[in-house]
Amino acid sequence: MMNTTTKAARMRAADLIGKAALLPAALIALVSACDIDVVNPGRVQEEFLFELAAQEAIVAGIGRAMGEAQNWVGYTSAAISRELHPSGSTGSFGIQVEWQNGELDYETVNTHWNVSQRARWWGDDGVAKIMETGASEQALLAEAYLWTGYAYRLLGENFCLSVIDGEGAGDRSLYYDRAIARFDQAASLGSGDLAMAAVAGRASVKAFMGDWAGAVSDASGIPDGFTWHLPYWDTYGDATRNRIQFASQAEPYKAHTQRYTKYEDYAMSENNPDGDPRVPYRVTDETGDAAVQCCGQVPWWPQTKYPDAGADIPLSKGTEMRLIEAEAMLQSGDWQGALARINALRSGAGVDMAMASSAAEAWTALKRERGIELWLEGRRLGDFYRWNRDNTPGDRHPLEVPSGSQNEGSHLIQQDLCFPISRGEVDTNPNINGPTG
Amino acid sequence: MVNRMLESVRFFGSGAVAAGAAILVFALAAPAALHAQDGTVTGLVTDAASQRPVGSVQVYLEGTALGTLSRDNGRFIILNVPAGEYTIRAERIGFATAEAQITVGAGTTVQQDFAMSAQALGLDEIVVTGTAGAARRREVGNSISQLNIEEEVVGPPQNVDALLQARVPGMSVTQSSASSGGGAMIRLRGNVSMTQSNQPLIYVDGVRVRSEGFAKNVPPIGYSGRSNNDVSSPLNSISPQDIERVEVIKGAAATTLYGTEASAGVIQIFTKRGSVGQATWTGQINQGVARNLPFGPDPSIRPPSENPTSLSGGRSDFIFINPWLRGHKPGCDESFVVEGQPCDSGLFSDIGAHQQNYALSVGGGAETVRYFVSGSYESDDGVLANDHEGKLVLRGNFTFSPREDLQLQWNTSYTNDQLTHTAAGNNAHGLTLNTFRRDRNYLNDESFNAINPFLDQEITTQLDHLITGMTATYSPMANFTNRLSVGYDLAQQDNRNLRPFGFIRAPTGILATSRYEFNTLTFDYLGSVDVELPSGIRSALSFGGQSVTERVEVTTAYGDNFPGPGDPDVDNAGNTLGFEDRTRVVNAGLFAEGRLDFSNKYFVTVGVRVDGNSAFGADFGLQAYPKVSGSYIISDEDFWDENWGSMKLRAAWGQAGRAPGAFDAVRTFSAAGWGGVPAFLPANVGNAAIGPETTTELEAGFEASLVDDRLALDFTYFTQNTAEALFSVRQIPSLGFTSSQLANVGELANSGFELGLNYSVIRGQSWNLDLGGTLSLHDSEILDLGGAPEFSIGGFGWVIEGHPAPVIRADRVANPDAHADPIIVQDSTFGPNQPTTIAGMNITLGLPHAMTISARGEYQGGAWMSNGAQAAATRRSVKWAGCFEAYNTWETQGYAALTAEERARCDVAHYQSDFSIQPADFFKIRELSFQAPLPDSWAEMAQASRASVTFSGRNFFRWVDPRMRTLDPEVGGNVGYNTRVRRMLEHVPPPAFYTFSLQLVF
Repeated sequence: MMNTTTKAARMRAADLIGKAALLPAALIALVSACDIDVVNPGRVQEEFLFELAAQEAIVAGIGRAMGEAQNWVGYTSAAISRELHPSGSTGSFGIQVEWQNGELDYETVNTHWNVSQRARWWGDDGVAKIMETGASEQALLAEAYLWTGYAYRLLGENFCLSVIDGEGAGDRSLYYDRAIARFDQAASLGSGDLAMAAVAGRASVKAFMGDWAGAVSDASGIPDGFTWHLPYWDTYGDATRNRIQFASQAEPYKAHTQRYTKYEDYAMSENNPDGDPRVPYRVTDETGDAAVQCCGQVPWWPQTKYPDAGADIPLSKGTEMRLIEAEAMLQSGDWQGALARINALRSGAGVDMAMASSAAEAWTALKRERGIELWLEGRRLGDFYRWNRDNTPGDRHPLEVPSGSQNEGSHLIQQDLCFPISRGEVDTNPNINGPTG
Repeated sequence: MVNRMLESVRFFGSGAVAAGAAILVFALAAPAALHAQDGTVTGLVTDAASQRPVGSVQVYLEGTALGTLSRDNGRFIILNVPAGEYTIRAERIGFATAEAQITVGAGTTVQQDFAMSAQALGLDEIVVTGTAGAARRREVGNSISQLNIEEEVVGPPQNVDALLQARVPGMSVTQSSASSGGGAMIRLRGNVSMTQSNQPLIYVDGVRVRSEGFAKNVPPIGYSGRSNNDVSSPLNSISPQDIERVEVIKGAAATTLYGTEASAGVIQIFTKRGSVGQATWTGQINQGVARNLPFGPDPSIRPPSENPTSLSGGRSDFIFINPWLRGHKPGCDESFVVEGQPCDSGLFSDIGAHQQNYALSVGGGAETVRYFVSGSYESDDGVLANDHEGKLVLRGNFTFSPREDLQLQWNTSYTNDQLTHTAAGNNAHGLTLNTFRRDRNYLNDESFNAINPFLDQEITTQLDHLITGMTATYSPMANFTNRLSVGYDLAQQDNRNLRPFGFIRAPTGILATSRYEFNTLTFDYLGSVDVELPSGIRSALSFGGQSVTERVEVTTAYGDNFPGPGDPDVDNAGNTLGFEDRTRVVNAGLFAEGRLDFSNKYFVTVGVRVDGNSAFGADFGLQAYPKVSGSYIISDEDFWDENWGSMKLRAAWGQAGRAPGAFDAVRTFSAAGWGGVPAFLPANVGNAAIGPETTTELEAGFEASLVDDRLALDFTYFTQNTAEALFSVRQIPSLGFTSSQLANVGELANSGFELGLNYSVIRGQSWNLDLGGTLSLHDSEILDLGGAPEFSIGGFGWVIEGHPAPVIRADRVANPDAHADPIIVQDSTFGPNQPTTIAGMNITLGLPHAMTISARGEYQGGAWMSNGAQAAATRRSVKWAGCFEAYNTWETQGYAALTAEERARCDVAHYQSDFSIQPADFFKIRELSFQAPLPDSWAEMAQASRASVTFSGRNFFRWVDPRMRTLDPEVGGNVGYNTRVRRMLEHVPPPAFYTFSLQLVF
């Protein structure tokens, strides 16, 4: 009886399982038919970048990356070099407390490092992609080289050490060498203003390297009125806005001021209509958006060199070339010739002539003049670094050197002259073992 | 209201509404169509142990459409019963079902009383979450928490988040701000992922719904905080009045059959269904207020330099925001009132933000058709000046049984939620930040008239949320069941964020409007075969498949520079921009589960789920998640004395996963603009081998009902290991891609135990007293970074080997108590960001006349978080309210009297954001309620069968660690609850709620 029951039960079970098996089979077919191979719109997969039609956007991307790097490095280096003074904000567009004090700690410069490295890497990678595909237009390739050259110049002038593509730390001269190679390509492939910008960029790098003959040779071909700008726009988000200008606006941040800078008494403003028009600012009765340790609430006197957040930033100018020529003369001992070059620029600007009675005074005049001519263009900290490196004569203004105290002078406790390798690079790159800057 | 109904019509489509209305009319008419009858059944339902009357018991005549609910006094009456013999049953969750045989004669009244036995451990209760089909609790080898609303919830919670707070061991529910309609972070056993969501999956009546928060209402460009900086939760689209029960499963051992996405647990909500019998109407009116507890230092410790009659000097206990805080506006006679500041502006403004809710439902039906239809409307002011929420919820649940072997279940809800908000959080254009930062705000002016224009920003959000699901259950044989479900969750979110022309911080105006569509489409098939094997062994084989397609689409229009005042459209703007984003993720899987039942006391379950997912890398393939569990009803053994009670031992092992994001597998470049020219930038490195992270969990424990069913115990030990964890591997910046890339490189672990306890101290006819509590302790640890560098996930939260997941790491003051400058220890670890101890306490006191007092409290300890509001203020040299005590010392005793900790925290000369790290321990009374039935005569005046009133207060008492001097440990950051690291920013804390409720049953 037990056997019969068991057998019947087994047969029922087999029958059930047989019927049931049809369902999972159908189910497997159903699920197999589910399309889980999804391509979502929006981001672009890499293979598309090897098409000719993508090259214009690659080059624009390299330029945009350079613009973002310039934005970050230019603004923070302006605070450290006291081209501007903090007026309180420490947030999104503000000046952090460490930078207010003149410190460039490796914990605080991750963004500067990242965007600068991205500009450099994307320039090289983008050029490689264009080369692999075959350039649709030579001018595009030249432009890619040009932006990449400027990216390397930015790194060379502002960062203490070089790191290339995950390798170990090296001397910053590696950046100069690569900048010159990119400018060479841009100059040879490009034409017109673009080629001239490449030559001017190369001149500035050679000057930084101390190759004064080469720098003067390049600079001599650039006319006084030439300018090559890095473009910005006021409507497309923070990355493509002129960061220095946006941070100085009444809304939202009022993050920096010309109060307590050397430009306060020198530059053209409502208080000083006869001041130098190359370094203009506006006097207001407002204060910055918060307070700083040195000075409490700081009068807000915003720069007006960049009238809006869409104002372009010059990368190379004929006037810079004249100052390179002047500095080359100082290097060779011709301080009178250098002073004449400087005064030619000042005459053009409609301001009083600079006076000097010695080489040291001429160096002082040159240092001041570069500060005026290249104001808020992301060049000042690099100048400080190389003048310090080369132990050049002449003085900087007291309000742009550290006073050692938050409560007097420039309110700089210290003044780091270059950006270190960031903590992010140190943490991730196994080849970084030594000092960061 | 009419507009809302029109919105409903638009949303559903008129055809669907017409069909629904027809069904509703039919359903409502069905019981009325019954013939007049001539017998009556009446009786009294009592608790067998205490002899107290038991209300809300479903009493019905089996095989008929006749039935009713017992009143609070335990009495019931069933009219119009045809003469004959019947089986009458009485059912209520928490009690063993009782039944009796009765004979009803024509024109007679039959008295049938029931003495129902409470079941602290309902071994034969049916649970469905985490099992393939339904299972009796005795068969389930994993822990499962069940919250039976009728049984356990006394007061009217304002939303589902509040309903769940402090109810389930191992669950934390944290609302992050006072923003109207803001959702809550829910964690079950802490974090199981360091990069993916830790929010549990949510199912409503078997339909998968969105579990992540809705979108923040913020413009697409510019700073991402120009918002109220909080988000709503899809969970709160459900009306608490509609819920019958909630089931919670917490870890991978229980969630295996949900596969990829389920490792953080599953919450399933079951809404009410109609019961056989005549229509039962329930109406409820709630009226109440919300108001904040103080969240700043006592004004009496203000330093001498503070002007006590100024706006700032006066109310540091609310960090000076009280003029805009409903319930705390100053009285006109208060000394610190300043010109232009409002006072005495209406009853509810004086005592708090007015909350009101009206709900009506009807349920009933016959054997073939049952229905539950409900609607509720709430209109709630927020505590902040602009905040308001108006929410309409409609629901229709219908059960059709056209044949004995076929049942169709159709559940649908529609929610229309209209929110207006005050700009808050870390937002330079917001009210809270500019108030907290006093005269060093973005106006350099702390006066009422200067700050008040921030209210001109209009932040409005409309949410339309439809959840509908159809389930067909076909049982061609008694032991063979097929269930096919189709679920559709559609939420549309309409955001409008306007800083009008003339706005104080954007004079030419900025407008952004966004349309989001979130939808989740689920197909689910389950087959179950019960087979009796030799030797008395029963087996249940279940198998099935599921596909879930989640789609998010958003289009945004942005405009700025408007020509002048007025109510603008985006196309009025001088500059206009458009944005679009679409993502779709598909997950499909098969599963099978077999359960063996030996003698109805030993149960073994094995199962597996195999998933494919569109976010997996091209080289990855499929992922299998196995499970095995067992339960043992030890109290059914012969050696067990039945007087000891009942006990189940259980153990479970299983796996579940979390998928990567939609774009993580592929190497991509972002298409960005550069002055109107298209531009590519490096975006994502890509990882073709990427797959889900897999959490493996082992849990073991017991459930017991002891001491004459007075003591209920539920204990679980668990240990989880998440292998191939998706960690954000920081890329080497000099290689060009600056964003981190997800990779399956890590390993992390969680372990702990959970204890739930309830003891009936007194069970009397007039008095009873229940005491209970929950305790969960858990620790987490990062076991392996897989060679990747330690990485930050924001808010000082770090992922570091050997430390909690995540750990709060920051520089620390080594000499906090010394009267000296701080000595700094760099990169010091403080502790976990999630609480490691959660303890709940509850007490229910039954009084004569069926009155009840109930209270619940919750303690959370062990967590650390940063007070970002403090850090942002002190680094700007703001005189921060949380430093008043230190300033007082400084001014009255000199700087030397300050400790190193005070100097670091309050003196900008030593400032670092790191010094804002604080312990987040707290205790809150989550609820204190008093409920009383009204006399029948009163109910009859309203033609109701019963009526009751409830007074409740929620979160009205708080203790926090004294080192947290401002805000509240439950305050969140700028992304609402969608965050991996809890941190405090410039928000007003969630308020306390005080509610009066009247419920009528007809």
